[in-house]
This record gives sequence, C-alpha cells and structure tokens, in this order.
Amino acid sequence: MQITISLHGVFRIGRFKEEVCDYPLGSTAQSIVDDLKISVTLLGIVLINGVHAAAEDILHDGDSLMLLPLLEGG
Amino acid sequence: MKIETTDPVAHPELIYYRRCTVDLTNGEQKFEDVSCQNLEDVLGGFGRSFQLLAQRTISTAYCDENPLIVNTGLLTGSSAMTGLRTYFSSFSPIKGSKAGLPAAMWSTGSGKFGAKFKWTGLDELIFENRSEKPVYVLIKETVNGPQIELKPADHLLGLSTHKKIMALQKEYDNAHFAAIGQAGENWQNVYMGAVALSTENQLKTGEDKLRFAGRGGMGSMMGYKNIIALVAQSSDKNKPLTDAVKKVNRNVVKGGGSARLQPIKRGGGGGTWAAYDVMQPFHAVPFRNYRPQGNNLPEKLFRENVEKNYNIESGACYRCGITCHNYISEKNADGSRGEFIAKFDYEPLNLLSTNIGIHEAGQAGRLIQLCDNYGMDAISLGVTISYTLSYNERHPEKPLLNGATFGDYEKIRELIINAGEGNSPEIGKGSMRLSQSTGETSYAYHVKGLELPAYQPETNPGYCWAIAGAHMTMGTYGMLIREGKSDVDSWVKAITEEKLHIVGFDLIGLCKFFDITQGIGTQMVVDCLKSEFNLEIDPNKIKEAVRRAFLYAMALEFRQGYTKEEFSLPTEVWKNPNPNINLPNITNPEFMAELSEKVWAVFDKELEEIRDNNIS
Repeated sequence: MQITISLHGVFRIGRFKEEVCDYPLGSTAQSIVDDLKISVTLLGIVLINGVHAAAEDILHDGDSLMLLPLLEGG
Repeated sequence: MKIETTDPVAHPELIYYRRCTVDLTNGEQKFEDVSCQNLEDVLGGFGRSFQLLAQRTISTAYCDENPLIVNTGLLTGSSAMTGLRTYFSSFSPIKGSKAGLPAAMWSTGSGKFGAKFKWTGLDELIFENRSEKPVYVLIKETVNGPQIELKPADHLLGLSTHKKIMALQKEYDNAHFAAIGQAGENWQNVYMGAVALSTENQLKTGEDKLRFAGRGGMGSMMGYKNIIALVAQSSDKNKPLTDAVKKVNRNVVKGGGSARLQPIKRGGGGGTWAAYDVMQPFHAVPFRNYRPQGNNLPEKLFRENVEKNYNIESGACYRCGITCHNYISEKNADGSRGEFIAKFDYEPLNLLSTNIGIHEAGQAGRLIQLCDNYGMDAISLGVTISYTLSYNERHPEKPLLNGATFGDYEKIRELIINAGEGNSPEIGKGSMRLSQSTGETSYAYHVKGLELPAYQPETNPGYCWAIAGAHMTMGTYGMLIREGKSDVDSWVKAITEEKLHIVGFDLIGLCKFFDITQGIGTQMVVDCLKSEFNLEIDPNKIKEAVRRAFLYAMALEFRQGYTKEEFSLPTEVWKNPNPNINLPNITNPEFMAELSEKVWAVFDKELEEIRDNNIS
C-alpha cells in the first residue's frame, strides 16, 4: 500500500520532507518509524490523515502519515 | 539551611533557613535562622516568599511596604542537575488586577548567581523600603557566616546589564552577579524590567550570554529600590557526586523530558527553538500579534534555514548536561564563527521575530540582544510591541508612537531602545495598560495583565489559570498540539491536577527541564533530597505541597482584586476565531464556559479553605 509520509524538524535530517512510500498491508505508524530509524525518544506527535493518532494505529492504502518531534517546554 | 530532622513533613520546624532582612533606608540588617512552618517553607522559592507577601497589604507596587525577596530553593547549589535557580518575589508593577491592585509575583532564572548566593551561607535576602542613593549589594561568605554590604553604584548607572556585570567582575573574583539594565533604572516608565544573571560562559568569554529572571517586572522593583546589582561572592561548594545523584542526573539527561532539548549532534531535537518545527505544520506559530495566516513565513526561522547564513552553537548552564539553548553568531566568509549576536530560545525568538513580522534571523538576534542588554522581559516587550504594530495596522491614519508596522526592523528597534531607556512608557508599562489607553483591548495578548508566551492562546485555555507567567506556571501549553485533546474533561483534569505541578520547580531550585512532564513529586527528587540532606519524604507529600503553594498563589490573586472574569483569554481569540490554525477550536465561548465552570468547581473549595485559614 502507498503511504504519504511527511517528516518534520530533526526527523528530516538525512531523510526527506515528504515522500510517497510503499509498505505492506497492516503496517502501523510504529513500523514505519522503526523502518525510518526515527528516535522513539524524540517522537512526539503522530498524525494520520491530519488527526492525532497512536503509534500502534494501523495505516491504510492512501493514508498520509505525519511524524513530528516532541513539544515540551520553551 | 540548618536541618535537624530527617522528616520535613512531620517536623518542618526543625529545618531553618538563613535569612537576612535589610532596611534600605538606613542599611540596618537582621540575620536570623528562621524555623520553617511547613513543607513549602522547606522547599523554598515562591512557596516561601508568597507566605511573606500575603502578610502585607499592598495597593501599589512602588511603595516602601512592598518587599523584594531574593531566595533560593532547597536544591539550588546542590549537585542535582539544573539546581541553579534564584527567585525574585514582590508585588508586581506590571501584573495587576482590573481593580488596580498589584499581583504578587515571582520570577526565576538560572546562571550561576543562585548557587553562589546559596554558597555564601544565605538562603533568603529581604529588602525593605528603598535606598536613597543607588547601591549594589555585596553578599559574601566569611568565616563568621554571610555578610552583607551596601555599596555606592553610581559608576554602574546607565550601563547595560552585561556591562554592569563585566564591570563588577573586575572588582570581585570568585563571584557571580545579578544586575538590572537601563530599563530597571527607569522603573517609573518601565514596568517590565528583568534581572540579568551572570553565567560562567559570559564571564569567561566577555560575551553577553546572560540568563534572566524576566517575568513580572522584578528588575523594575530592584530599580525602584535603587538596587542596581547584587554580587554573591563565595568559594564554589560542589560536593562530590553520590551514586544516587549521579543516577538521577543521568536520567535527567537521558530522560524523555529533556531529550528534544539536547543538541542535534547528540541525537536531540536541538533546543527550545525546535518548537517552531513542531507548531508550524498546524499553523500555530505566533505570527503578527498571534494571528497566524496559514503561510510558510515562519519557516524562514527554522534552524535548517538559519544555519545557512549564521553560526549556531549549543549552550548549557553551569554543570548542566541538557544543553537547551543555542547561540547564534555571524558567520565569516570562511565559514568560521564571527561576532556573537544572541541566544536563541523559543520565547524571545518568536516574540521578537515572527510575531512582529521579522523573519530574518540576524535581525531577530539583534532585537533579542537589545532587549537583553536593556534588561527587559522579552515576552512582555515582544507582545506589547506586537500589540502596537497591530494597532498601527488598523489605524494607519493615526498610528501609535513612531508608526512602526510589522516587519519594519528599524522602527521596531527604535521602539525597543526608547522603551529600554525609559522614554516610551506606552511600551514600558505593558500591553494591558497600553490597550486600556487606546480603548482597544480585544487584541492585547495578556491574561491577568501578564503577556502571553509564544504559544497560541487558541491552543491553550489553561493560560487563564496560570498564576505567574502563562507557560511557566501551567503546563498545558503544548497539550492540544501534542495530544490533540479537545474534550473538556481532559482539560479540566490537566488544569486542576496534572499540569499545575510545573510550578513545583519554582519552589525547589531546579529548572523545569529536570523533568518537565512529571514535576518534582518524583523518586528522582526524593533521591536527591535523601542524598543531599538525608531527608526522607514521600513524593506524594511533595505533590501536596506544590498544590497548596499553587492554590495559595491563586488565593492571593483574588485578594488583590482579581475576579473570575479576569481569568479569561483575549477577546479576539473567541470573538474572531482564526481559521488558519489547523487544530480543533477549544476556545469558543461554549467550551470555555463549561471548562471554567468545571475548573472552578474543583478549585473553589480548596481556595475557600486557604482564604479562611491563611489569607484575609
């Protein structure tokens, strides 16, 4: 299935801003995070189709996945 | 501190803090070991100072009866990482109720002054009345305990915060410094004066790398009292790290709370500045007086764009492994580091750049540098300027002051200089007073008289219940963006239970990044207290003390004339909702009414008890 993945902040370093990628059916946001070797400690926000989601949520063909780092402090 | 018990909950009276009270009219000093009345006293910071402020009847900040309290927390100067905080407390010149009474306020900062202050042997310094002539105060360690001297400060007048500190450094070795800038000296026209705190990095490099106790005009209070600077002179008293504290400190550095603040090269998120990258996808980066327009302009200040033209270095406070801030410098033609410009922290950066229409990093840095050197609170200054620019955009035919508009760097720079030198009371007295004078209050972005930080109010109804600076005393500011929570009950729980605990750090002497998600009622803090002082305490007892201190401060707000109607967001937020922010609307009147009702249902009973027992 095809997933449009957009990365933000430090997650872009050495990766990409936005790409359409192929993943097996049943993939979760977490499996994509693992595949992209994104730091779990830094992962703060997961959005699927613009809606806040959990890392273990299952994606479907055509979904968009946005991964953002933590937002704490200021 | 003198500690004669292992149980600070059952026997706070067996813990004593060393206090000196100085009468500035005649220089008289009174040293005493004060027995703690409760756990809040033991922990220190505002938990202790507010109990003293509550004993005063103060109707205007600039009066002899309003004390300025300088104190530390129990873990200031300890080997616990981030234990560097100094607290300045007083009734505030800038934060006040619509009834016209000043609010009790505290402000805090790191740097090394707090540790040095503690190492002189003093825990608290209270300034009463006002000095006739400008003085600086020398607090020094002696074999007979801490001593205080008031010294003429004429030679420091008119200097910036940084230059004052560098001048004092030439006179005192083994010392650290707290100083006001020209803004604090011009307290009559500047209510947002900050206190600058020296850092090791500053003293070693001679560059203006200061830290600030910015909020609430505590620098203006120092100026009113004619105290130009404080010098804490003492040997360093770093204890060898115990295994327990070593383990805690390791957790602080590796823990989730500080992970995103670590430098990128260490696998972190790159400091507080990185908030830009997280908020921009939601179009929630404050833009032109908190009105994001759904465009990409904030991205000009993303790190990846700034580092093309400027040199960026990570920086840390003394003995802190978190390394939360970034220094920006000019970049030479050969790529090497050029002249230092400023420290990029998220709040000053946004409020003195994107939120006033400035999108060039060097210009932003120069404005931050000006603000720091004049010694003003970057949040209050930035927001009062953005109000002015917004007013001028609406009234091009009859603008305020020099007619500055969004993005007009030179005119904005002129506004900051005029404010810092005391020549622009319209800016210097803050957005609440300025908006009252124009009659256009709806887009003045303050709550209870204190300007909002750089998180859109549309994302944080919790601002209303913050007690001393809207993001530092109510930790709900990232909740909508981070978690997407848009139901009332989650917000009630956050405001009344979980997120108020952020204020615990403003008792104990630690920075919030020690453990921003959990607060201080944790095993990490328990382990530090056991290791450093042989104190044994249940973390829940710490949480209870934090909650009491929070509600005590809120009760004091009501005593100073606040009504529940003043616990509200700027009118523009709900009356003219911003369609560009890509998040659920949780600040509409219906949501806010339900939230308010439910929050007060929790707080009212406890506030009643506090009022009956402590605050009349």
